[in-house]
Amino acid sequence: MAEGLTGSLAQLPLVDLLKMLAAGGQTGRLELTSGLDQGAVYLAHGELVHAESDMITGEAAFVRLAGWPSGQFRFDPQVQAPRRSIEKPMDRLLADSARAASEREALRRVVPNMDVVPRLAKKAPGPTITIDGADWELLASVDGESTAAQMASARGIEDIDMAKTLYRLKLAGLVEMAMVQAAAPQQRALAGPGFFQALTSAIAEAMGPLAEIIIDDAVEDLGFNRATFPRDAVAALAERISGEIREPEKRVRFQQTMLQLLRAGQQAA
Amino acid sequence: MEKGLEQVGALPGVGGSFLCDNKGEVIVSSDPAVLATVTMSTIGREVGRVFVALETAKQPADRIDFVYNSWRLLAQDMRTAVFFVVCQPEVDMAIVRMTVEVVIAGWRKDANAQKRLHRHQAERAALVSRAVLDQGSWSSWTVLTSGGQPSLG
Repeated sequence: MAEGLTGSLAQLPLVDLLKMLAAGGQTGRLELTSGLDQGAVYLAHGELVHAESDMITGEAAFVRLAGWPSGQFRFDPQVQAPRRSIEKPMDRLLADSARAASEREALRRVVPNMDVVPRLAKKAPGPTITIDGADWELLASVDGESTAAQMASARGIEDIDMAKTLYRLKLAGLVEMAMVQAAAPQQRALAGPGFFQALTSAIAEAMGPLAEIIIDDAVEDLGFNRATFPRDAVAALAERISGEIREPEKRVRFQQTMLQLLRAGQQAA
Repeated sequence: MEKGLEQVGALPGVGGSFLCDNKGEVIVSSDPAVLATVTMSTIGREVGRVFVALETAKQPADRIDFVYNSWRLLAQDMRTAVFFVVCQPEVDMAIVRMTVEVVIAGWRKDANAQKRLHRHQAERAALVSRAVLDQGSWSSWTVLTSGGQPSLG
């Protein structure tokens, strides 16, 4: 009955779709697309056995796919999973996904984007405050001017980790978030060290060991250095470097990697 | 091919896209279509002529970015066809251009896409003939083909 099953995730959410396929004891591959994002979930006799999305597999991939608010699906029955990467029962996985979605939403409410400027709260939340070492170090670096993205870049940590820490500090009543427009309208969010690390790997794969030099040259051509390179120029940088890759297949693979990276950056922002 | 158009259409600031053959006929367009078919065909034909003209003038290009006040149009030459993307002015064109390259590379490997392109195969040079150009365009064309020297005759 599931042969040729296609549709929209907006009309039939993934959770309901999986429950339906599980109830029918289906085996096959559920292909999911959302814009440029692609992923797949495999079922064996109604049981969830494998998930993949971009470079991620297993439960993490499933949680990511389950978070897509819209997209398209297609079920190909009888397609076997290439391997087993999921051991948890479907009910527990769905509960985990719901929890992850709720955490993301809670985080988004407190830290809506990485352009917010954290400031120390004027009033202490209580007579005694207990704080761990890592949070204290971050708190000590709050200058009331740097954006969350700039702070993450300066400390060499990923945006998501910075957002989680700021979330904790905000809930503890130690910091307030101000919108960057009010504080420093001219400042641009920075690409950060995480981006350059990923870029280096992608270039090394396409062009060999000169990756660092190629990046520095291209960054300089665009009038920046790594520390000042803005996030809104990373696509231009990626395109400029892709133009240097002579082998068409390698160039396209590099572009695909870069587009994935850019999407991930947009989602994080 | 439709999947490729969907990928492009999902980018922020992109309104839609379409592919025209070397006669200007629409091979495929995003759904819903971003422009009327007759408009897409006219664009396909005229931009096809521009690519021929540039090549004849020994200034070959494989991509043209038309920038207007309220929209932008990217034309990517595929030789057998031209891929158009209709965008908002503030679009991040670098992302659009890279995505277009990725999509076209996918079509080159896709037998069905190749079959569709083959069905629409036509010589682009046919876009430029006395029969299909108005007098002024034809005069300009003859100047171009004579190496930039207007004929005195």
